[in-house]
Amino acid sequence: MDEDLMDILCCPLDKHELELEVDEREGEEIIAGRLICTECGEAYPIEDGIPNLLPPDMREDAPA
Amino acid sequence: MTGESDRPPLADRRDIDRVYQPAEDSRLLAETALEYLETDDMVLDVGTGSGYVARRLAEEASVDVVVTDLNPHACRQAREADLPVVRADLLGPIRDSAVDVAVFNPPYLPTDPDDEWGDWMERALSGGDDGRAVIDPFLADLRRVLVPGGEAFLLLSSLTGVEAVREEARANGLTSMVVASESHSFEKLVVLHLRPSRPG
Repeated sequence: MDEDLMDILCCPLDKHELELEVDEREGEEIIAGRLICTECGEAYPIEDGIPNLLPPDMREDAPA
Repeated sequence: MTGESDRPPLADRRDIDRVYQPAEDSRLLAETALEYLETDDMVLDVGTGSGYVARRLAEEASVDVVVTDLNPHACRQAREADLPVVRADLLGPIRDSAVDVAVFNPPYLPTDPDDEWGDWMERALSGGDDGRAVIDPFLADLRRVLVPGGEAFLLLSSLTGVEAVREEARANGLTSMVVASESHSFEKLVVLHLRPSRPG
């Protein structure tokens, strides 16, 4: 994930801004970390370079 | 691309793959949107699937494209194709007034609940009982994410009920117009152009 993406993203629950925490970078790309809502504190994982902004109750609700 | 054949019935697509592959609907949506894009537009491809529409827009117009999908396999393919991708449910994590142009080739086929089979391909194709189970929540949130003067292109089939979708759009403060249509053996594909109605 490119940091520019932050410009259009918000918390899917309350639409507030997100704060980025980086665990792993490759050049400009964020490979692992999380996006944390500045209002409700919910953390959204970034894994394998892809931010998962599904609401928490949908993260597991998915076909294999 | 599989543009030459008619869409097989829903059930025949079972187990072909976990990500919807581009077909005539994807091509019609991409080519229609390309006529409207302006340089530097921020374009959101909702439910990008194979990434075909997003790639065409990014390659053939000087625009910034971001893609979303619910399906993690589609998200991975998008990342491998160097498309900026977010795993998302429709427009949920998109900021207010952040998008110039949204494009969406939704799951639009009406599906009997008894015939649903519960894998990622079903999620890419099935629009529930009336074909609008995914389209309606998209329309309910679209106005929020568009910039003033923003617009969206929504691919629909005559099987979905185009007038019912336009009615729903109206109820959500959106003006709609059919800007492209193409007949296939048992359905007509249309592209609906949507923009926020003037307030009041």
